[in-house]
Amino acid sequence: MSKAKKRIPAILICIGTAALVYFAGYIPFYTYQEEVLHTTQEQFFSADHLVKLLPFVIIVLLAAACILILLQIREFAAWKRKDDKRYRRLKTKPKGSKVIGQKRSVFMTVRWCCMIVFSLLVMFGGIVLGFHLAGIAFPVLACPTNLDQMVESSCYFLAHIPALFEEYSAGGIILFFVSTIGFAVLLGRVICGFLCPMGLIQDIMDKIRQKSGTEGIRMNEKRHNLLKPVKWLLVFLMLGITFAGGEFCSFCPALATSPVLAGLSVSLYLSGFMMIFVLVSSFFKRRFWCSICPMGLLIGLTHKISPFRIKKDVQSCTECGACYEACPMGVKIIYTEREKSDVTDMNCIMCGECIRKCPEDNALAMTFAGKTLFRASRKQILSGFENRKAQKGGDVQ
Amino acid sequence: MNAADLHEQEKRKRQEERFRNKMTKTSARYLRRMEELKGAPDSLAPFLQTLRRVYLEMENPLADQEKPIVGTYCVMAPQELIYAAGAVPVKLCSGSYTAFSIGDDIVPRDACPLVKAVAGFQDMELMPIYRDCSLMAVPITCDCKKKIVELLEKTHDVYPLQVPVSREDEDVDQYVEELYGFMDRLEELTGREITWDHLAKGMNIVGRSRYELSRFLELKKSMPYLMKGTHILAVMNAAAYLPADVWAGYMHELNEELTVKVRERQRAVSRDLPRIMVTGSPLVFPNMKIPLLIEEMGGILAADETCMGERGMSDPAVVVDKSFDGMIRALANQAVRPCSCPTFVNNKERIFRIRQMIEDYRIQGVIYHVLRGCLVYDFEYKLIEEELGRMGIPVIRLESDYNEEDVEQLRIRIEAFIELIKLKEQNNGNVQAGRNEGGM
Repeated sequence: MSKAKKRIPAILICIGTAALVYFAGYIPFYTYQEEVLHTTQEQFFSADHLVKLLPFVIIVLLAAACILILLQIREFAAWKRKDDKRYRRLKTKPKGSKVIGQKRSVFMTVRWCCMIVFSLLVMFGGIVLGFHLAGIAFPVLACPTNLDQMVESSCYFLAHIPALFEEYSAGGIILFFVSTIGFAVLLGRVICGFLCPMGLIQDIMDKIRQKSGTEGIRMNEKRHNLLKPVKWLLVFLMLGITFAGGEFCSFCPALATSPVLAGLSVSLYLSGFMMIFVLVSSFFKRRFWCSICPMGLLIGLTHKISPFRIKKDVQSCTECGACYEACPMGVKIIYTEREKSDVTDMNCIMCGECIRKCPEDNALAMTFAGKTLFRASRKQILSGFENRKAQKGGDVQ
Repeated sequence: MNAADLHEQEKRKRQEERFRNKMTKTSARYLRRMEELKGAPDSLAPFLQTLRRVYLEMENPLADQEKPIVGTYCVMAPQELIYAAGAVPVKLCSGSYTAFSIGDDIVPRDACPLVKAVAGFQDMELMPIYRDCSLMAVPITCDCKKKIVELLEKTHDVYPLQVPVSREDEDVDQYVEELYGFMDRLEELTGREITWDHLAKGMNIVGRSRYELSRFLELKKSMPYLMKGTHILAVMNAAAYLPADVWAGYMHELNEELTVKVRERQRAVSRDLPRIMVTGSPLVFPNMKIPLLIEEMGGILAADETCMGERGMSDPAVVVDKSFDGMIRALANQAVRPCSCPTFVNNKERIFRIRQMIEDYRIQGVIYHVLRGCLVYDFEYKLIEEELGRMGIPVIRLESDYNEEDVEQLRIRIEAFIELIKLKEQNNGNVQAGRNEGGM
């Protein structure tokens, strides 16, 4: 009985999510009379483009308002509970000083550059580079609503399987599956960590929070596990809602970014609200959307064979848990594992944060086909102190 | 009545005089032996000088800081927080034989000598570093630590820190709350609100000392005979009585000197002596008999896995989230998770740490040090012995107390152990094969 009771909230959340996805098309956010899914280079560089950005601006403003309101509520709640210690903690912000930590690593610079370049490619790739690769499907890296995209998107046809068989010839269908699965296997969730524009947006939100010294929400493995039903439900909804007459794209938050930023007139339904949710949630919890993203989960299924691996030297690990604390996906085995040297997890988005925060030499590393790309080192962890003359008397004032 | 009182006073005075005499003499003897040990780098002097000031001249090296002093009894009380509050920490775990003999009458016979020494110092109220403490933080890591709280409360404000028994998510969360409580107590003490900036500065002060230590360990790994282990223990022990920034400054000098030594391949000893590691109960000055015996009998203490030595300070606090809460979490995480203290149930990570150290410092034999009455460490001996047996690394268990009665016995056993390693080294083929098999 009690077990059944415990399931009730999860069941309710699942039903709610299913209803949201099904009725997504009936909840307008910003609609156009006439949708224009094309843009030209002239239009692209005209003032018209800026006008088209309006929905995105609205989303950002609303998200900012939501975040500020939530922060106020949190402070108010602490104040109301007369918990002035917690209130003070929420209030205290960096004023001029900083925590000396690590210097920027080459790996992270590469990752940020990749994210920025690929995000621009998704939006404007077709316009700038042409359509030579149009037949190849790439998971995530394209939004079908943007007819000027550089490559074909996998997610659209995964969400509209009947359309795939209607629109494409046999060769096209084979190319679709081969390229989708091929990229998913070759890159795995490196796509999430390095290429996905939604990832970039979420990482920026996290950067803003960290810079402002605002307290976030910590999610350990148990809390992440609570999201598991939602995550799987979204996969089935994505693959199946089209058979029930639903439209998954009206739900997908990505619709509110790449086509809109590319300057198209796209009507936004629930997507707009979902994007606000993504921005707000990723502000408090880094990469929150990634832990329920259905496309990410599908790509993650290849984690057993993908050539990108997270390797662990189980002996030099001290189980300090810094990697687990740093992991935005709440992967726990990375610090508890003591037998297998391979700790690549289905949920791992290959962002490399665990390796960057690992203080033990070589305890963690990212490899591609056996070649090490990035490894943990004590030196890197304390690199902020390098060349800083150890002076006497430089203490707290 | 009055006469009796006077008599009592007289008696106490004489006892104090005797205590001071005996303690400074014992400390001086051990300090001299440490100084006489050859191969010390020049930059070791300030560290030895610190020990001299504390134990011989009975001064408080922290007095000139003009800040409240917070005594800590374990590395699990984060120094960062204490600095952030505008106070300065001192580690009070003691190794004094004289204080031990007094504490012997105060606490139960089976209590560990470290606690007996603490009780002795507390009773005599002579040591400035104890006397000047405005607050004492006692992480409850074992039964003895738990019970000295009451004892210390007679003369000092004490803050017991509840250390979790395992390292699960909830345990770390609980320790975060514990640290918040400690923080409030510190704020009350100094009258200063700990802001984000204060905490960041506290993290940076301690972080710098961790950085210098990591540089030092790096140098040591590159050359196993760089410095004698007894001298390294002096360096680590001095950290207990110095502000972290001053210690980091001394450490910087030492690192500079050792960098040159590594470049010129200058070793502390000319021959390849058996490389021995000590693990187990803490080795606190002046209880230096075991490291001194190892190095006087022709071995070298190449590494130590004890909490007053390298282990207590080598794990950095990794700040993952730059909010105030994130920094406190980093401190709680660092205190609980990487700590290989046997106070935790399931302490398998200690075995891996020892294995890694054996590899890093090319250890040939392990001495398992147990202070009499230190049950938790004694419990883990069997596990470690089995594992080292599989690796083909000889290990002995040495039990000792805070007195010199067992010195001869220790000498004989350490000498035999060193001979055993030498013998093993001669039949080298066997050993090498065994280690390769057991090691991986």
